[in-house]
Amino acid sequence: MEVFQALQRLHMTIFSQSVSPCGKFLAAGNNYGQIAIFSLSAALSSEAKEESKKPMVTFQAHDGPVYSMVSTDRHLLSAGDGEVKAWLWAEILKKGCKELWRRQPPYRTSLEVPEINALLLVPKENLLILAGGDCQLHAMDLETGTFMWALRGHTDYIHCLALRERSPEVLSGGEDGAVRLWDLRTAKEVQTIEVYKHEECSRPHNGRWIGCLATDSDWMVCGGGPALTLWHLRSSTPTTVFPMRAPQKHVTFYQDLILSAGQGRCVNQWQLSGELKAQVPGSSPGLLSLSLNQQPAAPECKVLTAAGNSCRVDVFTNLGYRAFSLSF
Amino acid sequence: MSSESSKKRKPKVIRSDGAPAEGKRTRSDTEQEGKYYSEEAEVDLRDPGRDYELYKYTCQELQRLMAEIQDLKSRGGKDAQAVEIEDRRIQSCVHFMTLKKLNRLAHIRLKKGRDQTHEAKQKVDAYHLQLQNLLYEVMHLQKEITKCLEFKSKHEEIDLVSLEEFYKEAPPDISKAEVTMGDPHQQTLARLDWELEQRKRLAEKYRECLSNKEKILKEIEVKKEYLSSLQPRLNSIMQASLPVQEYLFMPFDQAHKQYETARHLPPPLYVLFVQATAYGQACDKMLSVAIEGSVDEAKALFKPPEDSQDDESDSDAEEEQTTKRRRPTLGVQLDDKRKEMLKRHPLSVLLDLKCKDDSVLHLTFYYLMNLNIMTVKARVTTATELITPISAGDLLSPDSVLSCLYPGDHGKKTPNPANQYQFDKVGILTLRDYVLDLGHPYLWVQKLGGLHFPKEQPQHTVITDHSLSASHMETTMKLLKTRVQSRLALHKQFASLEHGIVPVTSDCHYLFPAKVVSRLVKWVTIAHEDYTELHFTKDIVEAGLAGDTNLYYMALVERGTAKLQAAVVLNPGYSSIPPIFQLCLNWKGEKTNNNDDNIRAMESEVNVCYKELCGPRPGHQLLTNQLQRLCVLLDVYLETESHDDSVEGPKEFPQEKMCLRLFRGPSRIKPFKYNHPQGFFSHR
Repeated sequence: MEVFQALQRLHMTIFSQSVSPCGKFLAAGNNYGQIAIFSLSAALSSEAKEESKKPMVTFQAHDGPVYSMVSTDRHLLSAGDGEVKAWLWAEILKKGCKELWRRQPPYRTSLEVPEINALLLVPKENLLILAGGDCQLHAMDLETGTFMWALRGHTDYIHCLALRERSPEVLSGGEDGAVRLWDLRTAKEVQTIEVYKHEECSRPHNGRWIGCLATDSDWMVCGGGPALTLWHLRSSTPTTVFPMRAPQKHVTFYQDLILSAGQGRCVNQWQLSGELKAQVPGSSPGLLSLSLNQQPAAPECKVLTAAGNSCRVDVFTNLGYRAFSLSF
Repeated sequence: MSSESSKKRKPKVIRSDGAPAEGKRTRSDTEQEGKYYSEEAEVDLRDPGRDYELYKYTCQELQRLMAEIQDLKSRGGKDAQAVEIEDRRIQSCVHFMTLKKLNRLAHIRLKKGRDQTHEAKQKVDAYHLQLQNLLYEVMHLQKEITKCLEFKSKHEEIDLVSLEEFYKEAPPDISKAEVTMGDPHQQTLARLDWELEQRKRLAEKYRECLSNKEKILKEIEVKKEYLSSLQPRLNSIMQASLPVQEYLFMPFDQAHKQYETARHLPPPLYVLFVQATAYGQACDKMLSVAIEGSVDEAKALFKPPEDSQDDESDSDAEEEQTTKRRRPTLGVQLDDKRKEMLKRHPLSVLLDLKCKDDSVLHLTFYYLMNLNIMTVKARVTTATELITPISAGDLLSPDSVLSCLYPGDHGKKTPNPANQYQFDKVGILTLRDYVLDLGHPYLWVQKLGGLHFPKEQPQHTVITDHSLSASHMETTMKLLKTRVQSRLALHKQFASLEHGIVPVTSDCHYLFPAKVVSRLVKWVTIAHEDYTELHFTKDIVEAGLAGDTNLYYMALVERGTAKLQAAVVLNPGYSSIPPIFQLCLNWKGEKTNNNDDNIRAMESEVNVCYKELCGPRPGHQLLTNQLQRLCVLLDVYLETESHDDSVEGPKEFPQEKMCLRLFRGPSRIKPFKYNHPQGFFSHR
């Protein structure tokens, strides 16, 4: 019935996005557990019509919200309500929406199934790292599907993960306000940064939670309750505090800029020095995820997509303005 | 002379007195030729010219003598002169006598002449007359001749059968071929004869047929009488059976009377009547159908339409003349045309839908004749008197109680596309202005009357279709009942809400925790424009969910210093279409769904997850359950707000709710989902 569908769309939140290996398609997961596949190439082409901005296919992936998604070179992995499921991109594009496999990490608590907030691919070791509600990082071998180890340390649930390729190390940020670095080979915690304890960036009225993490090997940028800050990892010191009042939910390095998005409509572009280069408004009142399509196979689809508290995915062809929006 | 004449006379007289004898007379005449002197004969003998000369001479002599006498008398001498005078006197006397004779002769001549002319004239006159007579006769004869020539005998006017036919058909004694062939006169006579024969025969036949007809007519009369005597007997049987009908609960008679009146209904109302009665008998005993209105007026509508049209044009002409004089009557004239266009058929169908709680929905269906649409007026009566709370004013109002029974059917526009052209002629912009008076032309009303209006082009003839009506009857009746009951339920709920109590029925208690601290403080209606101007309702307005057929309310929930405003959109299709809530929380700043994910989550809990809140079957508890859930959500929100370490003092709202986890997911949503019966809160 129309009213109900309209209401659903009004209350939709898109939590995660993932670009296909060919670079021409974008998957978006929402709070109803649905995944929609958009054809970026069709939407970006010159004959794009209104239907091109609608999903090619939408399917019910999970029972709960789809908090995070990643793509390997053949699979789409989605996770949300405690399970991680895999889908074949080739199948999905043909509208055959059947999961390839699903896995549930071994949780400690049985009262409530904890959510999985972040997925991280470690391509060299063929590992998938999951982190979420049970405050642990689980590592799953993608070939065998077994969970190898779990890293404990966080005292509250984990929001985000980032990979430091050189070491290799995994950074995790959580609700407890700490960013922890874990060594993948030794499976031990290497470093802990308690962001909220640093006066430059802490904002007690927002809380201490770390909502977003990004790392560039030597540098790390994180934000959330505390202000968005650029850290030098080796010395664990905050070098730049970005003057952004609203808590940020997603941050990423791009070329020589830092892109961040969070509460508030805009995608913010920062210089490494801390200056705000641009603020480009999107169509959602709050943004939760940014995705840069840097797949080499589809250079024409090189866009930035942002999604959040609405049923729309904003597409920025040029970082300066929002070109159009895809919509569920 | 006189003595001579007297002499002459005397003998004549004596003779006539004497012995009679014409013969004698004539003899004596001839004898007297020699004896008596006849002046008449003398006239013929004398010459008139010489008589004239004599006369002239005599006159001269007389004159001379007179002159001489005069001379002599004047000379005076007595004797000699006296003799001469005497002499002359005697001569003049003689002359006088001559003159007298001449005079007589002249007279006689004159008389003779006159007599002769007279005679001649008479002759001429006689001839003349004769001539005239003859001429006249000639003319007369000529006329007669021509008449005779032109005379057409009656027999030529008769269409006689053609010659061939005649010779074929006529019996030989009439046709007499040998004679008639040669002689046209005989032929015609024969033909006439034959004609006469035939006519006689036919006249006979005609008389026979007439007598037959008379017989048959008499038979018919007899049979008619027989039948007419039957009718009163049947009536009496029916009367006698009435008590039996009532006893068996089969009021055929009453139904029959209704069908009688129904015959005068216009086609769409008739379809509605038939279908509704059928449905009422078959499926729904709580439905009663009746016909209201004046049957006589309905019959009068079928009088010849030309009269009324002529009257109209006459009255129009009169009115036009008057409008030339005074401006205001132009509006009156237009008004009358409008009234004419919007005229209703005098009969209307009344449907009474009785619901389980003894409330009745009265629907009166009218048919607008010129516009060819049906309208309905609705009225709800309840078993007990309802005290209307202020906010419930519009719920049961006749204007809006049936609005949007089917989605989008707001009943303010005429469903017949052809009406637009009719409206343009009389300056009616839209039917909306007249809807209060005429009733609402909902689409389902048209469908119940079997009127089907295609959307694309206007049609002049619209067919009334029983199958269309039948297929819609059941759904519509059910919808109507649900509508009335849901409105009545809302009515009751509003009364309670206005007092700050959220009436949660006992079978919905499981949806909420036992202790709810937040309270509903205010519940009022707001206008549609006010709703659209609120800053936190922009999304709903943009999504097109806030039209003008909806009802809008504002609720205020409070706990401590926190005030939660909720703007509610109530769709007329409640409760199958859920009310929509938009929230704005004033506590430590203003939070709406734009800047706070948790407010968004709360809205989602109430708007999207409404199916769990519907309650038992008819779902009338939806609104109250949603309001109660809103209070619970506010409680959770306030109690799970993380404490700001930098600020001194205890939390305003200590956490009393049992929650497994306070935050979850990237948006850090609070645990809004209530789990029954364990009584703890978790995330969806």
